[in-house]
Amino acid sequence: MKHIKTLNTRNLKNSMKKGGCGECQTSCQSACKTSCTVGNQSCENK
Amino acid sequence: MCRCLLLVMRGVYQVIHQFKNNGYNIVLDVNSGMVHITDEMTYDVISLFDSCGKDELVASMLQMYDNKEKLDVYEAEAEQELTRVTFQNEIEEIYNTISEMKKEGQLYSEDIYESYIEEFGNRETVVKALCLHIAHDCNLACRYCFAEEGEYHGRRALMSYEVGKKALDFLIQSSGSRHNLEVDFFGGEPLMNFQVVKDLVAYGREQEKLHNKKFRFTLTTNGVLLNDDIIEFANKEMSNIVLSIDGRREVNDKMRPFRNESGSYDLIMPKYIKVAKSRDQKNYYVRGTFTHNNLDFSEDVKHLSEKGFEQISIEPVVAGDMESYAIKEEDIPGIMEQYDILAKYILERRKEGKWINFFHFMLDLSGGPCVAKRLSGCGSGTEYLAVTPWGDLYPCHQFVGEDDFLMGNVDEGVTNEKLREEFKALNVYAKDNCKNCFSKFYCSGGCAANAYKYGGSIYGTYDLGCELQKKRVECALMIQAAEDNSSN
Repeated sequence: MKHIKTLNTRNLKNSMKKGGCGECQTSCQSACKTSCTVGNQSCENK
Repeated sequence: MCRCLLLVMRGVYQVIHQFKNNGYNIVLDVNSGMVHITDEMTYDVISLFDSCGKDELVASMLQMYDNKEKLDVYEAEAEQELTRVTFQNEIEEIYNTISEMKKEGQLYSEDIYESYIEEFGNRETVVKALCLHIAHDCNLACRYCFAEEGEYHGRRALMSYEVGKKALDFLIQSSGSRHNLEVDFFGGEPLMNFQVVKDLVAYGREQEKLHNKKFRFTLTTNGVLLNDDIIEFANKEMSNIVLSIDGRREVNDKMRPFRNESGSYDLIMPKYIKVAKSRDQKNYYVRGTFTHNNLDFSEDVKHLSEKGFEQISIEPVVAGDMESYAIKEEDIPGIMEQYDILAKYILERRKEGKWINFFHFMLDLSGGPCVAKRLSGCGSGTEYLAVTPWGDLYPCHQFVGEDDFLMGNVDEGVTNEKLREEFKALNVYAKDNCKNCFSKFYCSGGCAANAYKYGGSIYGTYDLGCELQKKRVECALMIQAAEDNSSN
């Protein structure tokens, strides 16, 4: 690494174009029934 | 020296979050979600970049590094002047790189989502997920149960097939064009009413063909009644199964006893091992709760991992202050440390070739949900509803039994439109504490039920939970940085 290294990340702004289809899993249906965790859900509209 | 801000703010919103963890300097560009790993100097330049001009920044860096004696690589006094020139050139090079990245939208990006989310909030309201309270009864007497041993402030009851059928019909009718529909069999303990679970799955499979839908059934169980037939059924029909257990025997048995006070660990553990193996270590979670009684909960995750489980979720208890097992504010530093220990353990374990996935450290940086999903809340009260055994609708399982949150029933659908609108308007910009939080794209504004129970409003936040959530995001990012580093 010279000075800075960027991890392979999806730019959230790009997801505005075709986001919001709502087909992904509801967060509480996975394994958290007492908090809200969305960062780990999978997109179903890639 | 100009202001050295570790939290770089633009207007009212935080645009950069910097932190150090496990030897990594990590910079999260909040609004693009881009994650950067930097050396020490770049880390410091980024902390100054947005609050002063280039000359001021260079001067500040020189002063800062003189003070910090960070120029120790250039020890010979005769070379000091040359050293300063080299150092200055290097800072300028970093400055130019950061400027370029800013132009490209990888650093200091603006928050442009508020009006987008408001517009998104005007979408048609559909229901796509139900939490079916198949049984308001339980064969365990867990001490922290928000369902009060399954009864949810009410009477013991089992959902009838008729009520369950109406719930599935209501879901299909209310789901608009959504294809994937989710139904969680929940309780109490749903296996106390297993025949109805089986019958409803059969009904759902029949209906999905007629209506071009896909049901994803899930089951949340305490494991007491699991047997080979149920495991076989679950493996065929359940897209996920959540197996409740708190970790080590003594920890589990203290909080998850039978009504006669005896522990449940010895009965459920062998069954859970069988379930995990029979599902090829996929599409399940062993899920536990940690409390003030086991603040060393990383040991519980380790215990579950060493028992062979690969999919693990352990969450902090949510309980009123008066409960002896509630997490207290003074517990937070120790819990943060536990998350650090856990993150390092996960890295070591994976290096040894033993997979472990901790639910709250999962992050899919290159994929993951769209920004609309990330900012618009969990969907409770709108897309996601809970159904009681007698068919009443609530915003989610945690509101069941709270009279003020009754939304309707499976015969008439949602009748409390006002309440639905209140939930629909929930997003991170509706919560003052969330607007300016770096974690807003990972928790979606947090849990409405926790906010209500903690502060009396679904538009509030559960501050203790927020602190832990932020730490979990940092640990998750550190894991990504470390694994990226070792793969190169």
